[in-house]
Amino acid sequence: MSAQAKIYSLFADKLFRVCLKYSKNYQDAEDTLQDSFLMIFKDIKKFKHKGSFEGWSKRVTVNVALQKFRDKSVLQFDAMEDSKFPEEDVFVDVDEKNISLDFLLSIIKELPPKYQVVFNLYVLDRYSHQEISELLKISTGTSKSNLSRARKILQEKINNSTKKSS
Amino acid sequence: MKINIDKLFQNKIKEFKVTTPYGVWPAVETKLKRRRMLRFFGVSFVSLMGFMFLFFQAEKIVTTDLQKNTTTKQLVKEDSANKFSIVPKVKTPEKVSSFVSDKSKEGQLKLISSPKNSSKLSSNFIIKESIREESFQKVITNTVVEKQLKKFDSPVNNLDSLKKIKKKDLKKKRKELVKKNDAIDSIKFEKGKRKRWNIIPVLGVSNSGRFSKNTTTLGSQRAVTYPEKYFDDNQSSGLISNILGFNIVFRATNRISIQTGIISKELRFITEGLFLTEFIPDVNPTNIVYNPGVEVRFTNTPEIGGAYSESTSLTQTIVYMEMPFELKYRMFGNLKFNTNFIGGFSFLYLNKNEIRAKSNLLSRSIGKADNILTTSLSVNLGLDIEYHLSKRFVFNSAFMFKKHYNTYLNYGNEAAPYTIGMHAGIGYKF
Repeated sequence: MSAQAKIYSLFADKLFRVCLKYSKNYQDAEDTLQDSFLMIFKDIKKFKHKGSFEGWSKRVTVNVALQKFRDKSVLQFDAMEDSKFPEEDVFVDVDEKNISLDFLLSIIKELPPKYQVVFNLYVLDRYSHQEISELLKISTGTSKSNLSRARKILQEKINNSTKKSS
Repeated sequence: MKINIDKLFQNKIKEFKVTTPYGVWPAVETKLKRRRMLRFFGVSFVSLMGFMFLFFQAEKIVTTDLQKNTTTKQLVKEDSANKFSIVPKVKTPEKVSSFVSDKSKEGQLKLISSPKNSSKLSSNFIIKESIREESFQKVITNTVVEKQLKKFDSPVNNLDSLKKIKKKDLKKKRKELVKKNDAIDSIKFEKGKRKRWNIIPVLGVSNSGRFSKNTTTLGSQRAVTYPEKYFDDNQSSGLISNILGFNIVFRATNRISIQTGIISKELRFITEGLFLTEFIPDVNPTNIVYNPGVEVRFTNTPEIGGAYSESTSLTQTIVYMEMPFELKYRMFGNLKFNTNFIGGFSFLYLNKNEIRAKSNLLSRSIGKADNILTTSLSVNLGLDIEYHLSKRFVFNSAFMFKKHYNTYLNYGNEAAPYTIGMHAGIGYKF
């Protein structure tokens, strides 16, 4: 088995998870994974052994996924959104055990792309607003505002769902 | 129960487990191979172009400057100062006005050009020595020698005449020029300069071998639970293989040619004295990656685990796409029929890697070797003969020895193969 095949077998599942979070569907996620591995093998010399290889490869994958968003011109951030929604914690009244992962993933996918990306980056992949602003070339205010809006929409959807089920 | 929405998502995402679809890796692998191949040919092409460019530049400096700036007048003046009586006076082109000879400075050429062409002319000084030699050749070629040669009984007489009129500092170079009738060949070569390129289809056979005897390279040195040199007691020998492709030859001078091309080159080795068994051990102690569906294994012992075994042999086929970069030096003969010494190297790109098994029970492809590097090099030495059939066609046959380097992973170069081959073809000159 070649070194590249070994890297692939070690990280493919983890990176595919990242791809699925940032892609519209399964097919898009496969394409993103393919492109991500090509990018990883191309840029592997740039990995400076600062931090884990897994972390670095996840960042490459996120970048590839975001590039795909940009290529499709679906990431249009509005600078006027700055501070429209103050950053605050949002709570939902649910039993964690009664709510499925599939449902949560599906409602993330229903978000407008700009909210979806910021929410994924901040909440699921633990990027800071500073990092998000650099990655998406937006202000930290826009990042916070989009995150806040995303949380509100998700809160609403979860509340609606729990009301229906009860 | 109220829960922070971020926490809810973060906790749930931990359950998110997926398996990568099967088709992704083959697609990635194919693209990587394509990229590597493109890079290989890109590098080879750029090297070739760079090499050609440097060569053309070197030649262009000498020939164009000679034609444009160096005139027969200078030479006549220079030579007349040195009693160079054989060269007749030739009408001076207008361009020559930028150059005059300055006798006050011991016969050296003095530049009194405008600043516009000063850089071009300054190059004349840099290559002054070569100009002197080459300009002498040019004058001979274009004006004098053809007529003179007709007058003389033989080229030898011509040489003798020339020897008398040499300047002291050109004496050695002129001797070389006229040696072995090279002057005549130079003239012919200059005349036929337009057809400097040959494209020659290559068809031939070669035999493969290794300097290190009995090294199959199929046995793994990585094996821990098995003897270290698995398969190494088994006889391995090369088989006759074919060579197919084309060469492009550029005749740089009447003695030196540059050769490149694309050749599909096959190497085959047979390893005998093995046994086929249905017993599949947990650890694969060989360098064979078995194809899916191959449910037998090959060992160097008759019975493993008491399972049935049968005598068999493995034939390893390695096909490379070869891109040679070679220089040819004409040793004997003339421009019609000659013998050349060839030296150079080749870039090799692995194109096929297959192992076939042959026994009484089966004869099929069973897999590939996992220790062959995709790109490697060979050093090439050889002899060829060229017979120019007509103005357009040339027959070429070569006998080549090629030693490979960097062929295997985990094996030294003594295990790397060499090939001795012969090929022939009729080329087209253009």
